[in-house]
Amino acid sequence: MAPLFAGLRGLPAVTVGFFVAHLASTTQASTTSSMPALRFNRDIRPILSENCFQCHGPDKNHRKGDLRLDVREEALEALAWVPGDAARSDAVKRIFSDDPDEQMPPKDSHRTLSTRQKETLRRWVAEGAAYEPHWAYSAPVRPETPAAASPTASAHPIDRFVDATMARERLTAAPASDRRTLLRRLSLDLTGLPPKPEDVEAFVASRDPQAYERWVDAYLASPHYGERMAIPWLDLVRFADTVGFHNDVPIRVWPYRDYVINAFNRNLPFDQFTREQLAGDLLPGSTPEQRVGSGYNRIHRMSVEGGIQDKEYFAKYAADRVRTTATVWMGSTLACAECHDHKFDPFTLKDFYRFSALFSDLKERGAYNLTGGFTRENLTEETLLETPAQKQRVEALSAEIDRLVQKLDAVTDDTLAADRLAWEERTLAQHRAGTLAWTVQRPLTAISPLGTPLAIEAEDMSVIPGGINPVQDTYVVTVPAPLERITAVRIEVLQDARFPGDEVARAGSGFFISEIEVSGLAHPAARPVRLNLASSQASSSTESGHPARAAIDGDPETSVSFTRKRGGGIALTLATPFAGGPDARLIVRIRHSESKPYQNLGRFRVALHTLPDPDPNPDGVPAPVLAALQAAAAARTPAQTKELVTYYRTLAPALAADRAQLLAARNDRDRLIESLPSMPVSKSVEPRLTRVLPRGNWMDDSGESVEPGVPSFLRQITPADGKRVSRLDFAEWLVAPDNPLTARTFVNRLWRLYFGEGLSRTLEDLGSQGEWPTHPELLDWLAVEFRESGWNVKHLVKLIVTSDAYRRSSRGTPELEERDPQNRFLARQNRFRLEAELVRDNALAVSGLLSPRIGGPSARPYQPAGYYAPLNFPRREYTPEVGEGLYRRGVYTHWQRTLLHPSLMAFDAPSRDECTVNRSTSNTPLQALVLLNDPTYVEAARTLAERILRGGGWSFPSRVTWAFQRAVARPPAPEEVRLLRRLFDQQRARYQADPESARALLSTGARPVPADLAPAELAAWTAVARALLNLHETVTRS
Amino acid sequence: MTPLEAHVQQLTRRAFLGRSTAGLGSLALGALLSPGLFGAGGPGASAWPGILQSRHHAAKIKRVIYLYQAGGPSHLETFDYKPKLAAMHGQGMPESFTRGQQIAQLQGRELKCYGPQFAFERYGKSGQEICSLFPHIGGVADDVCIIRSMYTEQINHDPAHTFMNTGSIIAGRPSMGSWLLYGLGTETEELPGFIVLMSSGKGGQMQPIAARQWHSGFLPSRFQGVKFQSIGDPVQYMQSPAGVTAGDQEQIIDVVNQLNRRQHDAVGDPEVLTRINQYEMAFRMQTSVPGLMDVGNEPARVLESYGAKPGDGSFASNCLLARRLAERGVRFIQLYHRDWDHHDDVAHVKYKAEEVDRPTAALIRDLKERGLWDETLIVWGGEFGRTPMAQGKGRDHHIKGFSIMLAGGAIKGGVTYGATDDLGYAAVDKPTSVHDLHATMLHLFGVDHTKLTYRYQGRQFRLTDVSGEVLKPILA
Repeated sequence: MAPLFAGLRGLPAVTVGFFVAHLASTTQASTTSSMPALRFNRDIRPILSENCFQCHGPDKNHRKGDLRLDVREEALEALAWVPGDAARSDAVKRIFSDDPDEQMPPKDSHRTLSTRQKETLRRWVAEGAAYEPHWAYSAPVRPETPAAASPTASAHPIDRFVDATMARERLTAAPASDRRTLLRRLSLDLTGLPPKPEDVEAFVASRDPQAYERWVDAYLASPHYGERMAIPWLDLVRFADTVGFHNDVPIRVWPYRDYVINAFNRNLPFDQFTREQLAGDLLPGSTPEQRVGSGYNRIHRMSVEGGIQDKEYFAKYAADRVRTTATVWMGSTLACAECHDHKFDPFTLKDFYRFSALFSDLKERGAYNLTGGFTRENLTEETLLETPAQKQRVEALSAEIDRLVQKLDAVTDDTLAADRLAWEERTLAQHRAGTLAWTVQRPLTAISPLGTPLAIEAEDMSVIPGGINPVQDTYVVTVPAPLERITAVRIEVLQDARFPGDEVARAGSGFFISEIEVSGLAHPAARPVRLNLASSQASSSTESGHPARAAIDGDPETSVSFTRKRGGGIALTLATPFAGGPDARLIVRIRHSESKPYQNLGRFRVALHTLPDPDPNPDGVPAPVLAALQAAAAARTPAQTKELVTYYRTLAPALAADRAQLLAARNDRDRLIESLPSMPVSKSVEPRLTRVLPRGNWMDDSGESVEPGVPSFLRQITPADGKRVSRLDFAEWLVAPDNPLTARTFVNRLWRLYFGEGLSRTLEDLGSQGEWPTHPELLDWLAVEFRESGWNVKHLVKLIVTSDAYRRSSRGTPELEERDPQNRFLARQNRFRLEAELVRDNALAVSGLLSPRIGGPSARPYQPAGYYAPLNFPRREYTPEVGEGLYRRGVYTHWQRTLLHPSLMAFDAPSRDECTVNRSTSNTPLQALVLLNDPTYVEAARTLAERILRGGGWSFPSRVTWAFQRAVARPPAPEEVRLLRRLFDQQRARYQADPESARALLSTGARPVPADLAPAELAAWTAVARALLNLHETVTRS
Repeated sequence: MTPLEAHVQQLTRRAFLGRSTAGLGSLALGALLSPGLFGAGGPGASAWPGILQSRHHAAKIKRVIYLYQAGGPSHLETFDYKPKLAAMHGQGMPESFTRGQQIAQLQGRELKCYGPQFAFERYGKSGQEICSLFPHIGGVADDVCIIRSMYTEQINHDPAHTFMNTGSIIAGRPSMGSWLLYGLGTETEELPGFIVLMSSGKGGQMQPIAARQWHSGFLPSRFQGVKFQSIGDPVQYMQSPAGVTAGDQEQIIDVVNQLNRRQHDAVGDPEVLTRINQYEMAFRMQTSVPGLMDVGNEPARVLESYGAKPGDGSFASNCLLARRLAERGVRFIQLYHRDWDHHDDVAHVKYKAEEVDRPTAALIRDLKERGLWDETLIVWGGEFGRTPMAQGKGRDHHIKGFSIMLAGGAIKGGVTYGATDDLGYAAVDKPTSVHDLHATMLHLFGVDHTKLTYRYQGRQFRLTDVSGEVLKPILA
């Protein structure tokens, strides 16, 4: 039988037949020596890989003495090993040698073999020096399930493997976990949320033998399951909301996060999940959702830094994709072959670049700064048309726009020239008369109903808001109206360095004005009359979905904002001209958008006009047009003439109807598109040339060009039609039945979620340097089961959590501690701290604050002021959400790669610059500070306190029990009640004496302070709730 | 067994409560992730003693104060005077220098020599040549070593910072301060062992700085640097909630710890003891750090010498804070001063000089006065230098040659080491890599840079990757 997958060309060239034969012979040898049999993969490979392969392994360029020890034939030929005769084996002699010239490993390698390792090698040679192919490089075959040890033993296949290993190690299993701990464990593991107290009680009381399984099914069916599963996946694919390099600006990619959550929730088979992410765009008749999945290829770090080069950044992105993809699907450190052949595994330098070429067809940019930045076009953004009707509507509007543009273009200047000349003359005269330009008015008053101080600048008559920036401000500015016939009012936005970002708004990068209203009064004592506004135009281009018209549409939901945030004007034409006079006044009211908190306008001024339909530019026409008008007709450059012709087309009465239609169609389309999510997706274009980069140097063009392909020692992809290997071919290869890595890698990682560690602890490396699994047969069995179940993730999860091994108590015995202190053989469950996001979710859920909403744009919880000070281009001010958005699950937190939210960072969430397989789980004083002082947790505590008072009964013990059950799913012990009682009494006395402090504490966070509860009582319960939320037990899954 | 596990086994054989040595593998990992298991006092003590049981050779220093001049200071207007470049001002840059070399913003433009914009003077007995904008540093010229032959590999800010701090251009590798904590632990239980401060200047461009620059990468996250803010709350979440006094906070922590202790008695998980210890340390930090960060209680004479105004968040105040942190046993203190990115007008180096010259010299003098000099290494430098070629009135990014300054009792003072070519383009005499700098830093701590390693993705990683030579000639 030939190996299906490992073609094993030039590599551990061992046929399966050979492999089996030698296993038999080692077994025999070991029987006679009455010692446990040596296994190459378990006992020998780790020694050779760690100590020898660096110089005598796969890397041909750094191989010493032309000897390689990773291939048996070559080692034997060099007489390194003489099977059965250790004394004559050259390598054995040198391992035992004391002569510094002879000794292996040499002193300068900083590697030494222990006496035991040396003896192991000697014995292995004496027993025949049998090799095994690396365990993870041949396709898993389902091993036979060990027999149950006794009729009462668990029949669950996982338990049969685990029990057999425990029996071998002579370990006794811990008893089953108590039902409270078990349900809390299950709920946290499957949904990332604590169980409801009533569910715990029902489960404790239930006698239904199926009760546990029912809960497994219920949690798997919960929409929160997908959120929990998404967290490690998003770490792997380094999903974040910002570009990561340099200015680290936001990029809209959240639809991909929702895709991942949905994929887990609807149990999308993992093979399809793989195809969609790597090549969703190439699937025949691909759906928008599949193309969003293909966003996987586009969510790496990207740069727009000035002075970077396309070629360098193409190389950076390509290498990132290799690192990530090989780690996520293959558990391989192919990344190590970027500059040289791999030192331990059979990956060559060329393999690295062939692998990177799999993605060279992606439409993307290297240096985004060279082509206009992160535009929709550069990012290959796709708008996700959710329904066929939306799609039809967009297509119809696009066709209409094209038709109107063509129609307008078809009108030649000849037909307009006469009118245009008259207009030129008239306009020039107006300019000379001083009526063409806007007249700036010095405000008489400028007031914010919220008390924001509005300063009036003496020199340019502008208004500058100061003080605290409220969530949603309104500016009311009164200006004199001395002109006779006022036709229009202009708000001019001015840049000012005291404001962040682009310096036109008080927060964020831009302002969002929902409405501008104008009232008039003939004299100061008259009643102001609201003036109807006919039209609104901006001199600066407006954000898609935020047109100038929004300022006068009376709809508070819509708002106007500028694209080029460098200032500019918004001109509002009055439906009927206003009769000004020496005493007349105009009141301009600027309201801001509710849905864009804090994004209030910065510095601005007010100007008036007296001509019909004035242009929104300060001069009354754009500056180049004015220059052209002022030049004598004969002296005009062709460019100036063109300027006038083009500008006039925007005014010509003859074209007015078509122009209006075009504007309406564009607005409709923009608004529709803006209301739909969009994100960068994969799109296949002519592949870029990929070369091997010698020593990884992107400036070196001397390397050979390569075609896409997979590592050469594995089965190659050969498209039937001889075409280039596509991303889809590659995805199919990953999920082919003979692929040795994909299923093992996934299963090993999944195991960690339920036991804290993988069956092989090196989740990121199943290669030569990876850890030999504690339960290799179980890992293979699960890998085959996964594949044969149709890559059914929920099936696999259910299988794991229904095993006895999963359900055991996490409490050890002195004997277990002694015999298996790391609990590698799973005689008990493990205890571990919740992941960063779940620490947050748990506190919010316990307090009842958590928003259950699934998906949508990322959310911004409270964050310390000034935390974003190191960001620039543009400078940024953090604006937290308003209302429900403050209480969303951690998985939705805005992920700023270069400055991750400090609470998440304190609990070990990674920056997601790079693929992260295994978060560390630290225990630090900063974590204590977060749980004690982050307003999120203080607000959660005071909310929990409120709920205790409303729902926890009347006595102290009943209330504290109620709270305890929410926090840790168990009632408190009497001593625990006593400790909390003392805290409560102290705190209540203290707050009764100092009600001001009680109110201050209860005002933490945005939630309203309940008016009907005694502040001292509530504050004292808040102290108790803070204690509960800070318990080790509360943040630990056991 | 990994070296880490082996080490912890040995450590614990000595220290850990008579538990059998076979039982320590999982604790090894636990110890790395959480302080408190293996401190001198056994469970409950919080200091991580470092992975290195003993130094590879005698340590010369205990800490680093890294004055990181972010943005790319021009070596030609600080420490590397080039008369030939002055003579060729305005002429074409000879192609022999630039052919085949990487260029940032000057891509595709005509390359012209741009002479030094300020005079240089010789300072001190050693006669070190330093730009006359920096007279205070000139005043301590005999105490500092100028390396004029640095080069780096990354020409844009973000990757260049990453390379300077981690020795790698791939994100996710540990920063130098994290390596030090991992290797040597810290000498304080009151403060993080790796603290970052940041200040901004005027006159250049304030390039963003990512938290990646002080991150622990693949090392456990307890080794990451903690950024202190010099304005407002010094550390995130350092302030108790409104309406909560220190006494209230202490009562709550006390109850939390008592409940946790009961939990420990019930389940026997040493991680709970660690948690208790962290709460105690958090409380100590809350009470001590605000006072520590308030330089207002320094004598007027000291404030004056640094040019620091309490609460102004300036580089001068941060230098003074650095000295206070050094006194309290912080291992790695890194001060970023932004704004050295002089593309448009390199004459703006004069503003930087106003901001950094005096405090840098004051820090050196202050350390000497307080007996901290011998055991401290000061590094002063940025992520790269600037081109001898003009970019308007400014200079572009440059990686082939630039200068940094080292100081401290373990460094030879009054020495200029290495040189660039006549035009200040490439390091030609004793070219010094970022790895060499890192190797030297570790050497001064008594650490062989090839032996401080961490196993990740199947191989032993180190700060210096696969190269790095200790700069022996400049060591005192």
